[in-house]
Amino acid sequence: MKSFAYVSARDVPTAVSAIAGSPNAKFLGGGTNLVDLMRGNIEQPDTIVDITRLPLTGVDLLPDGGVRIGALVRNSHLAAHPLIRSRYPVLSQAILLGASAQLRNMATVGGNLLQRTRCLYFYDTAAACNKRAPGSGCDAIGGFNRNHAILGVSDNCLATHPSDMCVALAMLDATVEVESTRGVRRIPMNEFHVLPGDTPHVETSLAADELVTAVELPSVAVAANSRYRKVRDRASYAFALVSVAAALEVTGTTVTQVRLALGGVSAKPWRATKAEEVLLGAPATEESFRQAAAAELAAATARPGNEFKIGLAERTIVAVLRELVTKGDAA
Amino acid sequence: MTATAEPEVGKARLRKEDARLITGRTRWTDNITLPGMLHLAVLRSPMAHARIVSIDTSAARDMPGVVAVLTATDLDPDGEIGMPCAWPITPDMRHPRRPVLAATEVNFAGEGVAVVAARSAAEAEDALEHIEVEYEDLPVVLDMEAALAEGAPLVHEDLGTNRSALWVFDSGEAGTGGDVEQAISDAEVKLTRRFRQQRLIPAFMEPRSTVVDPTGPQLTVWSSTQIPHILRVMTAMTLGVPEHKLRVVAPDVGGGFGGKIAVLPEEMMAALVARKLGKPVKWTESRSDAMLTAHHGRDQIQDITISATRDGMVTGLKVDLLADMGAYLGLVGPGVPLLGAFMFNAIYKIPAYRFACTNVFTNKTLTDAYRGAGRPEATFAIERMMDELAAELGMDPLELREKNWIRHDEFPFTTVAGLTYDSGNYEAATERAKQLFDYDGLRREQQARRASNDPVQLGIGISTYTEMCGLAPSRVLGSLAYGAGGWESASIRMLPTGKVEVVTGSSAHGQGHETAWSQIVADQLGVPFEDIEVLHGDTQFSPKGMDTYGSRSLAVGGTALVLAARRVLDKAKPVAAHMLECSVDDMEFTGGKFTVQGTDQSVGIQDVALAVFAAHDLPDGYEASLDSDATFDPENFSYPHGTHLCATEVDTETGRVSIRSYVCVDDVGKVVNPLIVEGQIHGGLAQGIAQALYEEAVHDESGTLTTGTFADYYLPSAADMPTFVTDRTETPSTTNPLGVKGVGEAGTIASTPAVVNSVIDAVRHMGVDDIEMPCSPMRVWQAIQGGAR
Repeated sequence: MKSFAYVSARDVPTAVSAIAGSPNAKFLGGGTNLVDLMRGNIEQPDTIVDITRLPLTGVDLLPDGGVRIGALVRNSHLAAHPLIRSRYPVLSQAILLGASAQLRNMATVGGNLLQRTRCLYFYDTAAACNKRAPGSGCDAIGGFNRNHAILGVSDNCLATHPSDMCVALAMLDATVEVESTRGVRRIPMNEFHVLPGDTPHVETSLAADELVTAVELPSVAVAANSRYRKVRDRASYAFALVSVAAALEVTGTTVTQVRLALGGVSAKPWRATKAEEVLLGAPATEESFRQAAAAELAAATARPGNEFKIGLAERTIVAVLRELVTKGDAA
Repeated sequence: MTATAEPEVGKARLRKEDARLITGRTRWTDNITLPGMLHLAVLRSPMAHARIVSIDTSAARDMPGVVAVLTATDLDPDGEIGMPCAWPITPDMRHPRRPVLAATEVNFAGEGVAVVAARSAAEAEDALEHIEVEYEDLPVVLDMEAALAEGAPLVHEDLGTNRSALWVFDSGEAGTGGDVEQAISDAEVKLTRRFRQQRLIPAFMEPRSTVVDPTGPQLTVWSSTQIPHILRVMTAMTLGVPEHKLRVVAPDVGGGFGGKIAVLPEEMMAALVARKLGKPVKWTESRSDAMLTAHHGRDQIQDITISATRDGMVTGLKVDLLADMGAYLGLVGPGVPLLGAFMFNAIYKIPAYRFACTNVFTNKTLTDAYRGAGRPEATFAIERMMDELAAELGMDPLELREKNWIRHDEFPFTTVAGLTYDSGNYEAATERAKQLFDYDGLRREQQARRASNDPVQLGIGISTYTEMCGLAPSRVLGSLAYGAGGWESASIRMLPTGKVEVVTGSSAHGQGHETAWSQIVADQLGVPFEDIEVLHGDTQFSPKGMDTYGSRSLAVGGTALVLAARRVLDKAKPVAAHMLECSVDDMEFTGGKFTVQGTDQSVGIQDVALAVFAAHDLPDGYEASLDSDATFDPENFSYPHGTHLCATEVDTETGRVSIRSYVCVDDVGKVVNPLIVEGQIHGGLAQGIAQALYEEAVHDESGTLTTGTFADYYLPSAADMPTFVTDRTETPSTTNPLGVKGVGEAGTIASTPAVVNSVIDAVRHMGVDDIEMPCSPMRVWQAIQGGAR
């Protein structure tokens, strides 16, 4: 592990000025990802700006019925918060299906947004990885890529974004608030993470000197009937092969509101807008669900190691929508 | 008649050691800090097979806090030190020298190449990055069959082969049964299957750690080990340190599962560095190093042939094993398959049996004992074969088993493998399990789901197992060329105030010996449970022991305790008689008191202890001590058994397996503490289920371990486990006075085949008759897609 300078910030202006002067500085929140990456020499910051003492720990109801979440709110705290459990159950479920209890107790909302991929080759400094070492190539293409992306991939990178929380945030149209010495900026969740293209090392639209300060959720009535399902190899401490966050309103037999996002399939939490288009106004039937899932996955590109994900994603979308219909009827 | 206290043995006492173990307010090896202590970090080879061209340590020596950077040349200049293997299973077994640090060649990824001693652990770790090693690639061999093929790359060039040993048992030759080839060629039905026992990682909670303190010629070694006594002998023999100058302490140890039945190169390295630098040193591994370098378990290929009559009587069983040793031989690694050799015939009356095992070298981490060691592999194979045979014959798998098992009135029973099972009642355990499980009801549901083509299919898996526990009769170990005996020792010291110190040669690392041993002694001596302290794991106050593994501690060590307690009473009796002014022949002992028969005159054992301490008024010529030692060497193994029934739901669309219900009825003989037994069963089941469904250590083609973290190695958590229904039958063992059999491995041995059998049973109608472990969603789904294997 490389030596680094350590700065502890007590307020946001100090934190953002500390990083403004150091191009290779990193903020330290829960440390659940960054510290591992530093130990493996994948991240080698010169300076660590400890932000754990910043006053960004509130979960507050907004006048318009939305909720503002401080960037340093711990994942377990957020999942258990009454405002989240009652208004956005999908977010609570997604967080609780991520990592392990110990990690959730440490991990922050801001850090969860900025998690790096779990691609084996990204972590193996002896392997080629365009994300870790731009231009070195991608060993996942043609390598072990069972966990890798099928949507929005490029010839340079197959990595997925590992977060569960972000899939729910994408489905809920959250906004990320960021701050730097240049001021405050608000980034829609769907624009926060970016696809690999020719620059897989660029993962977000966050500038190097910007600090995530909060996530805001709009008021989303349909979120009361929402659900997160995660398909993985064991029931705890495993990343999603495929996950689905969905919210559904059916009036009579017609879909009148629908939101759908996928995890484990792309470098960003994947908002399934094509499926939403097919579903809106369609009868709430198994047949529509299948058509919608197929429409979304039509653009998928798989490698021999992850072909199964296309069918798995389709079946999981159908299963979650089916459950939401049943649950909606019961309510 | 006076009311006697309720016996301690059988009580569900909470474990007295738990508070300190759970809170960590105790002495783990890594908590030990000595004045001037240096910290060690080991540079490990990233290559699975390579020649070391050069090692440049100069830059690392200049790093902050670094005191020394040492290689094999510094620690063992003449290349004389080799790690011990205590089980040369055949006279011609090939046993390559495993150095403390690799000098000229590395043979598996993770092998140590250099060591840094620094003032802090972080500084030692950081300096590793500044050691430059130049490697020259050598061809890697990872697969056992490839390793045995003509012209295969050799792990150890000088051996001329990758074959370490061939060990054979043949019932025809041994005179314990018929000729298996004849039985198979005469058979009405015969089945052959190949099973793969995947490689597993023991994953103990506390990573390994060693502290060595050199004071003059004396060496004190603390280590997170299961085997402090064996470690002392082996360190003396390996390093030439006189045994009497060596003290080994296993302080509280956070689990082992067999993974700490080892003499580590790092332990030897720490001793050598401590001596060289004249300073205490500590080595504590990271979790990543533990997964990579602590010995792995299982890794066998099993070719099994079973023969039977059309009506379901098994006539022969033939077993050909390949066992992957990894790059070197571990302490008892070569013998692990032998612990299974006598168990393939299991609870069945099989007239002819042959077992042959070839131990093979590959460029991987070495394998050695892992919970069950040999017996899970054997039990898996026979229990899978019984299910396959039942399917072939169109019989109910329980009925087939019942037809072939040893009936309860046939004990003691000498098996085709030459063991004499002392006791058991397979009928009773199975009957009870069937009731608890609702076997017939689940079979009906299974039929209904098949008929309706339900996407979620139901399967029922069975495992009727036995195991040899209580390792072990020393003469049997001798006949198998094991390098030590199988006895255990105990000492009881009566303190002046009537409190009792019990010293045991077993070495608990989470099992609860302090509680169970206290219960046993409380009953034997009639003193309160709270008045007993159990001491273990330090060769200074517990000089004799064979340590803890193979479900031996209670059956062997507990028995030594009983014998020692009887000697205490024998010594106390004349003093009591003297105090009560009566004849020794008129005394009786109950509930902690010596009483003159037919009177109310009595004296308690604790008062006798005080009288002996004072020694003012003792019988003439009496030696003033009640303290007693005993050593017990069992005549036979003990044989726990049980019936495990597992119902799984298999989602045929995703391949996901979920265990719907799991019932086990185990017979572990007399139970000392039902809570501890229950805990052992639960943990064992989880570990066996983990092999069936989740865990596998995987290497890529270059020999890199790709499952080197818990993110990649699927150790299941509580969230993956069903609620277990456990029950017991109790058939006392006749080989020890407590009637106990052992429970440490039962769950692990029984559960793996029960689960896999249930998965196959769920999808057999879809053309599937085998799925390689672990039965992950991917493998199950692929098996369904592919139909037959």
